[in-house]
Amino acid sequence: MTRQPNAVDFWRGFALITIFIDHIPGLFYAHYTLINFSISDAADLFVFLAGWSLRLMAEGGGRQMPTRDVVLRVLARALELYAAQVMITMLAIAMLALTSIKLDNPLLLEWNNAAAVFNDPVPTHIGLATLTHQLGYFDILPLYVVLMLMASVFVLIERVAPNWLLPASITLYLCALAFRLTLPTWPEEGTWFFNPLAWQILLVLGFVLAKDTGIGAWVRRHIVTLRIVALPIVILGFLIVRFDWWPDPTKVPNPKLFFIADKTYETPMRLIQFLAMVTVFSLAFRYIRWFGELAYVRRVVTPLIGTLAMLGRNSLYVFCVGSLLSLTGQVVRFTYRGSVGSDTVVVILGISIMVFTAWLAESRQRARPASPATSARRS
Amino acid sequence: MARAQTPPPAAGVSPAPGATTSPLSKACQTGTDATANESPLPNVAAALAQRKNLRILAFGAAPGRVSARRGGYTALIEAMLSHALEGIGVVMVNRGVSGELAANAAIRMKNEVALEEPDLVLWQVGTNDALAFVPVDEFVATVKDQIGWLKSHKVDVVLVGLQFATQMVREPHYIDIRESLRRLAAQENVIVVRFFEAMQIINNASASVTGPASDEIEHNEAGYNCLAQYVARAITLGVFAKNMPRQPAPQPQPQPQK
Repeated sequence: MTRQPNAVDFWRGFALITIFIDHIPGLFYAHYTLINFSISDAADLFVFLAGWSLRLMAEGGGRQMPTRDVVLRVLARALELYAAQVMITMLAIAMLALTSIKLDNPLLLEWNNAAAVFNDPVPTHIGLATLTHQLGYFDILPLYVVLMLMASVFVLIERVAPNWLLPASITLYLCALAFRLTLPTWPEEGTWFFNPLAWQILLVLGFVLAKDTGIGAWVRRHIVTLRIVALPIVILGFLIVRFDWWPDPTKVPNPKLFFIADKTYETPMRLIQFLAMVTVFSLAFRYIRWFGELAYVRRVVTPLIGTLAMLGRNSLYVFCVGSLLSLTGQVVRFTYRGSVGSDTVVVILGISIMVFTAWLAESRQRARPASPATSARRS
Repeated sequence: MARAQTPPPAAGVSPAPGATTSPLSKACQTGTDATANESPLPNVAAALAQRKNLRILAFGAAPGRVSARRGGYTALIEAMLSHALEGIGVVMVNRGVSGELAANAAIRMKNEVALEEPDLVLWQVGTNDALAFVPVDEFVATVKDQIGWLKSHKVDVVLVGLQFATQMVREPHYIDIRESLRRLAAQENVIVVRFFEAMQIINNASASVTGPASDEIEHNEAGYNCLAQYVARAITLGVFAKNMPRQPAPQPQPQPQK
């Protein structure tokens, strides 16, 4: 038995589709995704919701799962994500190689950081296995793997000293920004595109804000006031993005990462705008569902909610397939010279396949008798 | 746009003997004349005079690109420049993201310039935009704005043009992006290492001797080795531009399709 559509699954489904579109460079529809109206983007939402889901898994349904079970489950999830990352990376490499052969074009072997795999396979395969070599646009799952490993520690801290979790996370975040701590790539010299030491703040915020007590409860009590504060921030973020009002990063004081908008380090400007957006849109799902009950639009909106929630419920499968579809979309754009027509076909087919993937994943469950643990398992 | 004034070569800094005249390996010499327009690097020259070190921020498709011989092409550039610019410490910072379009790179580059405070940005640009069929006007506007921003922040830039593949020689959009980059570089008086054209000449020369390259990867590998040499040469020429004679660049002949 699958769970009913809820806000977390709905927004996660939204994020998955957005990421799929954003990961096809030059796509016509990429001009209309969240990143074009907001400082933060779907990746922030995805990680924040992962933290929120972690809380639901650990304490969902009014019962607290034993600490040992939560830690083991989080570690198992990290392993599952790692396996998924290795699999989609190998498939992506094979896709690039196949396309290169079929189109007789060696440039495709250079796409998305794949050149090292073909040029210097010995160390690069070690890098692929250790996640220190990541293909372009295949760099979210490595972040997620590290975050899940870190989450096992976060859960322990939370169970032992709940009031210390957020301060510990903020301290790590600020240290990462102040001293530019990050993870290196290898064998190619560089750094991870998503710095886990900074991005962990979003996971922890999702985790603590989902809690019914503590800061989560405080936020719920003051949500109206917070929305009033958050709205101008969201509007300002919109104006900065649309009218290119970014501050000159060379003019801000040191440490500069505290004052600039940087995705790698999930800097405060980005983080604050994201939290403001979540605050403002926290009621949106309720209104969308209410809107979907109106007679005129029910036939369209209700299935749309159900579809997005289904994508969100099966986020790992859908994300993996979506990543490969994005790469396919890049190849299609290259082959058909990237017209609006071919872009439309790519988006429609891509989303359809993502939906089919989610449906297929749930078909196994539908065939199975309901189990009490089912709803909490997929986080 | 007014041509930037070239400051005198940095006091106490001189090219190593023969460094600017012939730093190229024999295999790469064929493509030399299609590689770069010689424009000055005033901020690099000033930095060398003041600090005796050179910070280069590498951006674009393949800055950290490794090779079977290790080190990657930016490491090669670093080593060559250290050799060519005697007494100068050269630091290369790689911040490229593979597959990134110029528009996205431009946003990130501003942050990295603020954080790393480079004297020079080495920007390999155009390949991803050409492959993603980004409109030429959009591409030009992005790169032009970015060059303007870098100039206004006293950071020199060396552009590295599009990657080479025989299959792209007659691809109209690829040609448009290549040509627009060349024109823009001339208009803005910045160095562009015309990687595609250089590799095309080398490719034609090697094909006439040994037949079509059978191993594309090995060929590409050699190309990046040459690229490192061209970039190092372009930078040393940019620093000491006044003294260097300029030769007319030959036009590469289109190679027949396989």
